[in-house]
Amino acid sequence: MRAALAALAFFTQLAHADASRIVTLALPHALRTGDTAWLEVKVGIIARGEEIEIATAAGRFLGVISPHGIHSGHEAGTYTIPLPADAIADDHISLRISLDRSGHAQRAPTTEEVKSLRVTIVDAAR
Amino acid sequence: MPQLNRRHFLQTAIAAAGAATFPANAQPTAKYTRYNVTSSGGQKALASYAKAIEVMLKLPADHPQNWFRNAFTHLMDCPHGNWWFYVWHRGFLGYFEQTVRNLSADPTFAIPYWDWTTLPQIPDSMFNGVLTPTDKAFEPYTGNLAVFTSFIQPALTSYWSTLSPAQLAQLTARGYTSIDKLWNDVTGLDPQSGNGISGNMAYANPCGARYLSRNNPKLDDKTAYNVSPFVVYSGLLPTDFYNAQNNLSFNSSKTTSHNAQPGGADSFSVLEGLAHNKVHNYIGGVGPVDPGPYGNMTNFLSPVDPIFFLHHANMDRLWDIWTRKQKALNLPWLPSGADLQALSSEPFLFYVNGDGKYVGASKAGDYLTTEKFDYAYEPGFGEKVVESATPTTTTRAMPPTRGIVKGNAATVAVSADAIRSHLASELGASLSAQVTLPRPASTSSAREFDVIVGAPSDVTQVSADSPYYAGTIAFFGKMMNMAGMSQDATFAVPLPKKPEAFHMLAAQANASVNIRVVPSHSHGEKAPTLKAVTVRAR
Repeated sequence: MRAALAALAFFTQLAHADASRIVTLALPHALRTGDTAWLEVKVGIIARGEEIEIATAAGRFLGVISPHGIHSGHEAGTYTIPLPADAIADDHISLRISLDRSGHAQRAPTTEEVKSLRVTIVDAAR
Repeated sequence: MPQLNRRHFLQTAIAAAGAATFPANAQPTAKYTRYNVTSSGGQKALASYAKAIEVMLKLPADHPQNWFRNAFTHLMDCPHGNWWFYVWHRGFLGYFEQTVRNLSADPTFAIPYWDWTTLPQIPDSMFNGVLTPTDKAFEPYTGNLAVFTSFIQPALTSYWSTLSPAQLAQLTARGYTSIDKLWNDVTGLDPQSGNGISGNMAYANPCGARYLSRNNPKLDDKTAYNVSPFVVYSGLLPTDFYNAQNNLSFNSSKTTSHNAQPGGADSFSVLEGLAHNKVHNYIGGVGPVDPGPYGNMTNFLSPVDPIFFLHHANMDRLWDIWTRKQKALNLPWLPSGADLQALSSEPFLFYVNGDGKYVGASKAGDYLTTEKFDYAYEPGFGEKVVESATPTTTTRAMPPTRGIVKGNAATVAVSADAIRSHLASELGASLSAQVTLPRPASTSSAREFDVIVGAPSDVTQVSADSPYYAGTIAFFGKMMNMAGMSQDATFAVPLPKKPEAFHMLAAQANASVNIRVVPSHSHGEKAPTLKAVTVRAR
C-alpha cells in the first residue's frame, strides 16, 4: 500500500500579531488511525542567527528551523516538521510562527521570510 | 494494488523468518565498533581520539592530515540539503577514522557517537583538553584571525594550485572560483559591500570556538525538542531513500551535484533539517549569541570542533538504523534505476585517507554501505524502529496472553489499553499473535491460511484490504515429514491496526479478541485445528 496523500492545506491568516503570526491550517482530510501529519515550511531569506520557531497557537512548542550553511542573501529552503496528532483538533491546527533572534524581541516573520506553510498527511500504510 | 502488496509483504516476511539463520534486523558483524561515547568503549576511543588530535594539530599546514586542513576538506566539498548528505559524510568520517587509528596507534579505534536523544548535552569528556576547540593547544593556530591566516592560507593556496580541472569545476559549483572567494567564507567578508559580517565568519577565536561549556553543557529546550524521540522517530518513518514529497523522503533534495549550495530550492529531510542543523548551530551559539561571531560548529569549517565527528557519527548511525529498518521490512534501502546511477556515480574528489594520501577519484557509490570501512554501531536510540517495536511502554509491559482455542478459532483477553496503544502507534503494529497450527499433510492442497481478527462469524474469506485481515501464513515448499521436524509450526502475525477488528473494545479493562485461521483460497479446503494462539506486545 504505497499510496500516500499530500494535499495543499487551506491557509487562513487569522491574525498578524507583533510577536508572531497566527495561522490556522485545515488538514487535507481527517487523520485516520496511524496517519501522520506534517508541516512544510518554506523559508525565504533570513539573516544569519535568525531562526523560525513553530508552536501551536496555545504555545506548545513544535520545532525550530535553524538554517545551517546557507550563504548570506540566499533563501533557506523548505523544512518539514512532524505534527503530533494531539495538536490537531477538528481537522485543523492553529500555529504560532515566530522569528527569533538573540537579543531582539520575537516578531512575526514577513511573508518573504516565511513564504508558505502547508500541512500534508502520510497515510498509515506508508 | 494495495491488496497484493500487503499480502505479498507478509508472505515474504513470514517465509524469510522461517528460513533465515539470522534475523533481518541484526547488526552486521564488523571489524570495528563505533561505541556510544558514554560507554566504556566510547571513553577508551576518546582517549585515542585526543591523542590523534594532538598529533594532527602539530602537523605542518601543508600536511593533508593537519587538523585544520582536514576541516577545510569539509568546507570545500561537503553537501548539505541534498541526497548526498549522508553518503559524503560517511566517506569523510571513514577516512578520518583511519587517520585517527594510525596517528593514535590504536588499531581498534572507531569514532564514538553522541546520542543526543538520550543525552541532550555535550558529553562531559568532550570538554577535556584538545577535545574542545577552546583548549590552549589550539591557540598557536587560531589565536586570532591574523595568526590563523598566516598559518593556513599559504598552504591552502599551494594546494589550490595542484587541483585538477574536475576538482576546480566542483569548487566553481560551490561558488569558489578562486581561493580568495573561499577565503571570504573564512573571514566573513561580503565582497559586494566590502564589509565583514561577523556572523558569516568561519574562523573562530578559541575563547568563542564553542558556545557550550562544561558549566553550561546542555542543549536548550528547543534544540532538545529537535532531537527528541518524536522528531527522530518521525525522521526514520519515511520508506523511500528519496521522494520528491519531503515527508516521504529519508533524504533531502535530489540535486544535480553534491556541491550545489543549499538554498531556496532545497527541501531538508526531518533529520538533517531539524536535528542535524539545530545541534550544529546551538553548539556554536546561534540562538543565544547575536550577531556573532559564532563558534566553529555553525559553519562548514565545523570539523575544527572535535564534537563534529561524534555528532556526525550519530547521524550516520541513524542512517544505518533506517537502512536496517528498510531491510527488515523488505523495502528498498536505495533508489533504483537511473536514480541509483545518478546517486552512485557522483564523484567525491577531495578525501584524504588514513595514510595521508589523497584518495583521488572516488564515487558516492563506494560509500553507500558501511562495508568499505567495516564498522557497526553499538546499539543506541532508534533501534526500536528496526525491531518494529512501539516507543510506548504500555504494550511492552503487557505479558504474553494465551488464548482459549476451539477448532480454528481462539479467544484472547487483551488489555484495552494495549489495544488502544496498538491502534495509535505510529511505528507499525505493536501487538502480534503467535499462531501455532499443524503443518499441512503432504497430501493436502492447502498451503496458505489467512489470519482474521474480530470478523463476524459469517465471514469465512477476506481480502487483504479487509479490516479483519492480519496476514497470510504460507507454508513454503513441499510438505515433507523429515525426521526431527516438528509437526507443528508457529508464526508471528502482526494484528491489524483497524478499529473494526477490535469491536469488543469497550470501557472494561480487558477486551476479548477473536482470532481465526481460514484457508486463503476457497477450494473447499478445511480450516486447520489450531494448537495455540498467544497475543504479545512487541
